[in-house]
Parts: sequence; structure tokens; C-alpha cells
Amino acid sequence: MRLAVIRCPDWSVVAAGAPADEPAAVMHANRVVARTAAAAREGVRRGHRRREAQRICPTLRLIDHDPARDGREFEQAARSIAEMVPRLETTEPGVLTFLAKGPARYFGGEHAMTERVAGLIRAAVPLARVGVGIGDGRFTAGVAARHSSRQSDQHPVIVDAGRAAARAYLEPLPVRLLHDIGGVSLELVDLLLRLGVRTLGGLAALPAPDVLARFGGEGAFAHRVASGGDDRPPGTAAAPEGLTVVRAFDDPIAMLDPLVFTAKQMAGELHGALAVDGRVCTRLAVLAETEDGERSEHLWYRANGLSVTAIVERVRWQLDGWIQQPGGLSGGVVMLRLTPDEVRADDGSQLGFWGGRTEADEWAARAVARVAGLVGEQHIFVPAWQGGRQPDDTYRWMPLDRADLADPTDRLTVVDVPWPGQLPAPSPATVLIEPVQAEVIDATGEVVRVTGRGALSGVPDAVALAGRSMRSITAWAGPWPLDERWWDPDQHRRLARFQLTTDDGAAMLAVVENQRWWITAHY
Amino acid sequence: MERSALPVSVQDKQDRLAELLPRVAPVAFAKERMLPIVDALAPLLGDGLVRGSILGCRGGAAVSVALASAAAASAAGSWLAVVGLPSLGLRAASEIGIALERLVMIADPNGREAQLTESAWVNMMSAMIDGFDLIVVRNPVVSNAATVRRLQTRLHVRGAVLVVVGDPGPFSCDVVIAGQSGGWEGLGHGSGRLLRRRLTLTASGRRLTRERRADVWLPGTTGGIEIAEPLSPGEIDIGARRAG
Repeated sequence: MRLAVIRCPDWSVVAAGAPADEPAAVMHANRVVARTAAAAREGVRRGHRRREAQRICPTLRLIDHDPARDGREFEQAARSIAEMVPRLETTEPGVLTFLAKGPARYFGGEHAMTERVAGLIRAAVPLARVGVGIGDGRFTAGVAARHSSRQSDQHPVIVDAGRAAARAYLEPLPVRLLHDIGGVSLELVDLLLRLGVRTLGGLAALPAPDVLARFGGEGAFAHRVASGGDDRPPGTAAAPEGLTVVRAFDDPIAMLDPLVFTAKQMAGELHGALAVDGRVCTRLAVLAETEDGERSEHLWYRANGLSVTAIVERVRWQLDGWIQQPGGLSGGVVMLRLTPDEVRADDGSQLGFWGGRTEADEWAARAVARVAGLVGEQHIFVPAWQGGRQPDDTYRWMPLDRADLADPTDRLTVVDVPWPGQLPAPSPATVLIEPVQAEVIDATGEVVRVTGRGALSGVPDAVALAGRSMRSITAWAGPWPLDERWWDPDQHRRLARFQLTTDDGAAMLAVVENQRWWITAHY
Repeated sequence: MERSALPVSVQDKQDRLAELLPRVAPVAFAKERMLPIVDALAPLLGDGLVRGSILGCRGGAAVSVALASAAAASAAGSWLAVVGLPSLGLRAASEIGIALERLVMIADPNGREAQLTESAWVNMMSAMIDGFDLIVVRNPVVSNAATVRRLQTRLHVRGAVLVVVGDPGPFSCDVVIAGQSGGWEGLGHGSGRLLRRRLTLTASGRRLTRERRADVWLPGTTGGIEIAEPLSPGEIDIGARRAG
């Protein structure tokens, strides 16, 4: 299947309107999810924490993550090519996918078509970098689009048809792409790297049955896409007829909220009808029509399957972008239709045997779904283990839109490796989201300094937290040095940790980094 | 007629019915109306947390006390929701005995305290009460007395327990546990490390005839809550001086 993919990397900063020459980053759950070209030049990477990013680039402007904004803005960009490309699918805000064959024939070849499409998108979103790629299958086309967006002239990349061509194109590329583009879990990619499989070609060269035996279904999938094969998840099929959910409104509705509310009911019906057979929708067509016959039709894709919340979110993005288009709508919406386009067996959450899910789990899952509808899925967090030496490293809060509430094995499996240098129990009950700057002085009033060898310039005598008065220190211990990620110049951190108790009974964890004191946690 | 003169809204009627429901419902054994607690808190709370009640935690180490009171129930299969405490240390929570797989937090997408309007907060809380056995809240965003009453009724019907950390605002707590730190052990002058903290807890409230006291280590040497021997009179003096 010949697919074309349009990819706008770091879409979130474009949607927020940050120009490429200003260092800015979109933060989600205290981590960088997207950054401008200027910030990337300074060394800010995706996944950096707020403090790390600010240390690397002090002038960095931080922008809050807003998936609704990303979706809405991208919907407006997508509309600029919707007229020339039938069945345009938004894979995620920032990535469009469509069948290349029809438009290529119409515009006189794949090359002419990609130039044309890229030109239209660039005109619609002048701030964004735009990559266009064509290849056999989602993965190859996605990799080609990423390649194209990274070239200085953003020239389209077209991979020749046929499995051999795809395999030859992918061969020298790093396996990391399986996670970035193919949706394979980071654990598997890490494992492959540790086993010495560094390129997609290296993975493709392994015998398929052995990969399946060693890495299971996910490994087999990774092997298949790495060798240029079909990358639709197994069990995917065209949706059966008769599952379309339609609502017609006698009174045209011009407001977003009532439409989204209706969509919520429709999504529940659709999801329920599929769940009866143990299936989930991976690709969904959303169609809305106004009283004057104006239409907005769009395909949405999600490899893990579209939950009710995910469907509602996508309907909101599409309608929000459509209603807010320049000039507005000619009239109210009279019809809303959800049609599943592609379904597959749901391997997500299945009810376990005894000892699996209890009634309490069901109740909680239902309550969480309701709260997600009220305040948004991105407001709900669950714990996830990640390991590390600092109190805020061992576990972190993971937003629910990326986690599975019912099946915590993925996020809470503790890999039993020692973290030398980790402080033993008891751990601090309060881990500050942003460390507080502090001043620790010795008896003569001088700020206590820590040398590179871990020697102190004086005995800590009193501490003042930013904006508070001095408290005398009743007991202390340290410094416990920590030298993390010394192999990576961008992420290298050297710090010394102290425990302090003050005369008001408080106990805290202090950190000295670059000769500055921070309080990071309270016991 | 006197009765018809009263303006009774549908909502009021529903609330009154909901209040009556537990009285006419089939008799439940006291144990079924309880959530388990750890032994160290038994001197304060008796057999357990009464379902439908509100527990207040104030003073020193209020967050740790709130988690410790939820630990046994969480380990036994109850779900715990945390609202307004985004800086909660997860490693400490797991050391105290909270089952992390049954823990959910509501916060702002950047991991700060969620800024919700009063009506959004109340809707969120009622949804939480429906599905969670335990809800730990700090800074309740509610001022209207009628709304508070409605939430309390709902709590009672569903049998959830609300734990309020710090100022309970308009909520009236059935039991309030106040903690007073008796100092840390293990840390010297340039040596040792924090090992455990002595905490004197006092419980008071309308369900208790007299004030109850308990001495605990929280955190203990493994991070959990442990029973502490009460200090002998001589030591109490030192403890009081240290705390003062």
C-alpha cells in the first residue's frame, strides 16, 4: 500500500505560535515534549526536565502543553490540502497520512504531488518545518517524512515501491525509529540496543521465527516493519458494515460544547458495540454537515485503538478547527456521523480470572472515566516506576492519557537493579516540584561551599529558604556526591546531597549544584 | 397547611431521601462499615476508619499521617485518590504501605495543583466519591454550606472516607488527628542519616468521648509507621524542650 506521510516535527510549539528563532519549549508533566529550532540548537531535547532544560538554555520560554490547541491548529492546516487529497487521515496532531496513488496520478507523478502538497502546507503554517515522504506502508513512509523534515531544504523523500527497496532504505537507520515512528515500546528498543542490534538492517537480518520466540508479538512486529513488510497490526480488518453511529439535529447547532456532548454519547455507543465482539476501532471517520451542505470529513488513527475519551477528543479537535476557521461556518451543524474504518481485536484490558480485577477496580475505573470527562484526561496522573537516585527519579507521575489504569504491570514493574548512591529509606514525603533556592551558612555567616573533592568550606550552621528567615541547623549529614550521566555532556550532572534538620523540627533534603544550594524535598 | 408552606426543591427532597437511605437500608455489620487501619493507629481510631466519615489531619507530618491512615485499606484492595497534593513523594507513599497500583492523583497537566472552579471541583469530588474508598484532599475548593452537606451525604451513602490534610475549610471532621514532632533520630553533626521520627498523635472529635494519644515512629526505619514506646517522664521534658 503506497502511503504518503506529511510530518511537522515539534508541532506543539508551532501550534503555540512560537517562532523558530526564539528558544521555546512546550512542557508536559515537567518534561519537554517539543521545542523550537533555536532551543534545539542550544541543546534542549525532548524528555528533558524543566530544570535541566533551563540550565542548558536560561532564556528558554516555557509553554504549557495543550493537546486541544495542537489538534485545533493542525486541523486548520490539514484543511488546506483536504480538497485535493481524499481520505486524509490525522495520525496525531502534526502527522497526516493518505493514500498516495490517486493524487499522484492526478498531479502527474509522486514527485510533483509531494511538492504541491508540501507547498500548500507550508503556506498554511509558515512557522512549521514540513517533511513529506512516500513509501510502502505507514512505517517506511513515516521514516521518509522524518528524513525529509530534517533536510535543510526539506526536500520530499520518496522510497521506491517494493519490499526490497523499503528494506534497503531502512537498513542503515537506527532501531530507535521503531519507537519514535513505529510505536514500538521503548523497553524493546532498549533491549535491542543492549543486545547490540543497532540498525533496522541488523534486526531485519535476524531469522523471523527466532525474533518471535525471543521477543514475542511486539518483536515480530518490529522485525516485520524493519524488513519493509506490512506494518498493520495483526488482526486488523476493514470495519464491518452497520456500525455507523449518526445523529441528525432538527435544530441546527452552532456551538461546540453541545456537539461534543452528543459525540460523547455516540462514541460510547460505538465503543460499546465493538466491545461486545472484543474489538476496538483503530481508524475512525468523523463527518459533520451544516444546514447549507458544508461538510467536514476526516479520518483519525490511533494504533492502540480509540477509547471513548480519545474519540471525543478527536471530534473536538476537528469541530473546533472547523468552527473557528476564518469566516466561520455558514450555518449550524445538522448531522454528525462516526464511521469505524478499521477495527482490530482488542488486546488492551481484558477481565482477569480470580484475583484479577475486583469490583473496587471497576468502580474506580468508572469514576476515573467520569472525572476524565469533567476535567480532562491530562489532569489525571498515576504512578510509574522509572528508577534513579534522586527521590523524584524513582517514581514519577504519568498522565493517564499515556498510561493504562487497569493494567499497571507496564508502569509499575520494578526492575530490580541497585542504584548505587540512592539514599535509603525513609524517603521524603514531599518532593518539591520546583526546588527552592536556599542559603546555608556557617557560624561566621559565610555561605558553605563544597569543593570538587567533597570537602566543605565550613560547618553548616543555619539555613534560609528563599524568602524566609534564617533557621539554625540542629543536625546535618553529607555531602553525598552524585555524578550522573557523565558519559553524556548534555545530561551530565554533578551534585552533592545533604540532610538537614532545623530547630523547628523540620527535616529536609538539600542539594548543592554549581555552588548553589537548593532544597529539593521535605521529610 | 403548614407543610405545603415550606418551599421544598427537588434537590432537597433527593438529599433528604439520600439521608434516610442508610437508616432504612438492611442492617450492615459494623465491620463491613469499616476500612482497616494499621495497628499503630488503633489507639486513636479503634477498629478502623468508619465508612462515610471525614478524618482531618493537621499539625506536623499531616501528609504522612494521612497516608498512614489509608495504608492498610489501600493494601487490602481499596483505591485511593489524591487531590491537591502534587508534590507527594511516591517512594515515601510506597514505603508507608500505599499500593501504588491503586493510586490516582488529580493535578494540573504540568504536575501542579489543579486550578479548578468551585463547581468543577465539586463535580470532580462527587465522581471520585462514587468510585474510590479513600480520598485525600488538601485545600478543599468549596465554600457553600449546602454543597458541603451534599458531598457529605454522598460520602455516607457510598461509604467512602474523606481525609482532609490541613485546614478542612467548611467540612466538619468526625475525627481530627494532630501530630507533634518529637524530633528525628539518626542524624548527627556531619554524620549519620535520618533514620526515624518520633511523632505524638492526638485524636479528638465528636465521636470520641475523650482525647486519645499515641506515640509512633513515622517514618520508621523502613519508611512505614511503627508503634513507639511512650517516653518516660524525664525524657518527655527533653522532648518538650526540643520541640519548643
